[in-house]
Amino acid sequence: MLSELFRQKLENAEVIPSPSAGKAVMTRVGRMEFLRFNPQRFNIWYAGGIVAAGTVLAIILFSGNGEESKKVTDTPESGKIVITDDPGTAIAPSENQKPAARYQSNAKESINMLAVPSVPEEVKEAEGIIPVQKHNVPSRPEVTGTLPGNGLFQETTGEKGRLRIVNQGSDMIEASVTEGCSPLKVAFGNIAPASDSCKWSFGDGGYSYKKNPEHIFDTEGKYEVTLQIFDAKGLQSVSSSVIMVHPRPIARFEILAGNEIGPDDGISFINYSTDAIKFKWDFGDGNTSDLLQPRHIYKSSGNYDISLVATSENGCSDTLVVSNTYSGSGYFINFPNAFIPNRGGPSNGYYSPASDEAAHVFHPVYSGVSDYQLRIFSKLGMLIFESNDLNIGWDGYYNGKLSEQGVYIWKVQGSFVNGEPFTKMGDLTLLKY
Amino acid sequence: MSDHQIIEGCSKHDRKAQKMLYDRYSRFLMGICLRYACDRAEAEDILQDSFIKIFFNIKDFTGTGSFIGWLRKVAVNTAITHYHKNLKFRYCVEIEEFTSTETGIASFEEDFFTSDELYKVLNELPAGYRMVFNLYAVEGYKHKEIAEMLGIDMNTSKSQYSRAKAVIRDKLNTLRRLKTNYSADG
Repeated sequence: MLSELFRQKLENAEVIPSPSAGKAVMTRVGRMEFLRFNPQRFNIWYAGGIVAAGTVLAIILFSGNGEESKKVTDTPESGKIVITDDPGTAIAPSENQKPAARYQSNAKESINMLAVPSVPEEVKEAEGIIPVQKHNVPSRPEVTGTLPGNGLFQETTGEKGRLRIVNQGSDMIEASVTEGCSPLKVAFGNIAPASDSCKWSFGDGGYSYKKNPEHIFDTEGKYEVTLQIFDAKGLQSVSSSVIMVHPRPIARFEILAGNEIGPDDGISFINYSTDAIKFKWDFGDGNTSDLLQPRHIYKSSGNYDISLVATSENGCSDTLVVSNTYSGSGYFINFPNAFIPNRGGPSNGYYSPASDEAAHVFHPVYSGVSDYQLRIFSKLGMLIFESNDLNIGWDGYYNGKLSEQGVYIWKVQGSFVNGEPFTKMGDLTLLKY
Repeated sequence: MSDHQIIEGCSKHDRKAQKMLYDRYSRFLMGICLRYACDRAEAEDILQDSFIKIFFNIKDFTGTGSFIGWLRKVAVNTAITHYHKNLKFRYCVEIEEFTSTETGIASFEEDFFTSDELYKVLNELPAGYRMVFNLYAVEGYKHKEIAEMLGIDMNTSKSQYSRAKAVIRDKLNTLRRLKTNYSADG
């Protein structure tokens, strides 16, 4: 029999599997063992634990580092100014001076060399910073300053009297403009010798240590710009000059499209400009106007860029351009997307925009429509309403019966008074309450 | 190392014992798997899955029955799982083209065919026939058990078995003819 033949031959037959099968089995076992929890051997749980512990350790170390670095940054803020000196800089050392390469200048000193943090580029340039070491100085009557050529300094109130003011006037200041509209950018020039150092105050709180700075005056006003110049001997000269900044007008307008735009109706513009006395309108079709609030009639429909230039009494001006403003003829027809028919019975669709506030009739809002045909279809495509009269909309009834709540399709065709045809379609939702 | 020690080691997930178990029984299990597969590659897939099952479920072996019997059972069950898993990829031949052609010689001499040839015949069978034939003829399960294992009707099992027999007989007859012709020519 067949079954006996197979059983005897094959029941305990042995076939040598390929060596790769054995390897594959052991690899898979190894992988699964790795994923299995077993406290006796390294597996994914141990690996996960190591990773977690490492992360925690890293976080601890990191936060520790963070505190340390904070401490480092704190030190300079403790009130002392540390200036690292160039070894090559020649200094006349005072007797109190420590031989270290760092000098600490006391804050009470009459002249402090300050690295002003807001002007970092000057800090880099100021290689020759020399702190004037004057510890316990009351015995010395005067500072015959070893003022640096390029250095930065700030004078404190106590020192002011000792500096002699040599010159006064505006002859050291050159300004690109002295009068203009805000925001006004002025380029200042300084005709003092290049070796002298200077400080500019612009009168609006701004200042600069550059020789020829530029400054922008943001708001209108009268600003007195002061220039202090220190020559090599520490002598100071002061120059000042006045900059007038006029307010800039703001051009603003609104385009008022009337509700009833006929062929000869124009468009009104409402002018909201401020600080201006003169106006120049450009309607984009070649016509201009100087009126405050002009009215303009466009001959043909199209897109126009309307611009208004408003000029103040000081000659400052501002321009507002509204692009592609006035497109089309101003004629339109629009439909709502829902209405609520009156359950009291058919109204034959007569409506007036004023009386139909409850939206009992589905009707358009329109302007300049001459020809008109409105058709309304059910979702199945059945024509249930048609009107060629603009004053008759759909009251929601079909053959004397109120239609079902739901979505209907409308299509309107016609033309405007200028002969331009229109076709629109959309859906509307009939609501019942 | 005795079977007992190997089982002990495997239940502790000892890699050495696992390797030993594999080396000792892989050929025997491969012999089973090859009967249920259409080729060696599939047989080795089943073999791998079987060993994974054996390694991770060796605690379920109570030690009361024979270890070999347990291994065989695992392998057969794995083969059935494999058959179910791959069922949708197979092209099922259910046409009655194999209706019994028992006209040939009813009995086959045991030693006329090598086991390699028998394996080949089995491998060429449609999967459903092969499963039923193996389980019924070689493993010795009842049709009722086979129906439960494969999730088919008992009568399906019976009819598939008889069809499988017919196909095998056909193939063996062809084989015999070829062999005798060849030896006669030779």
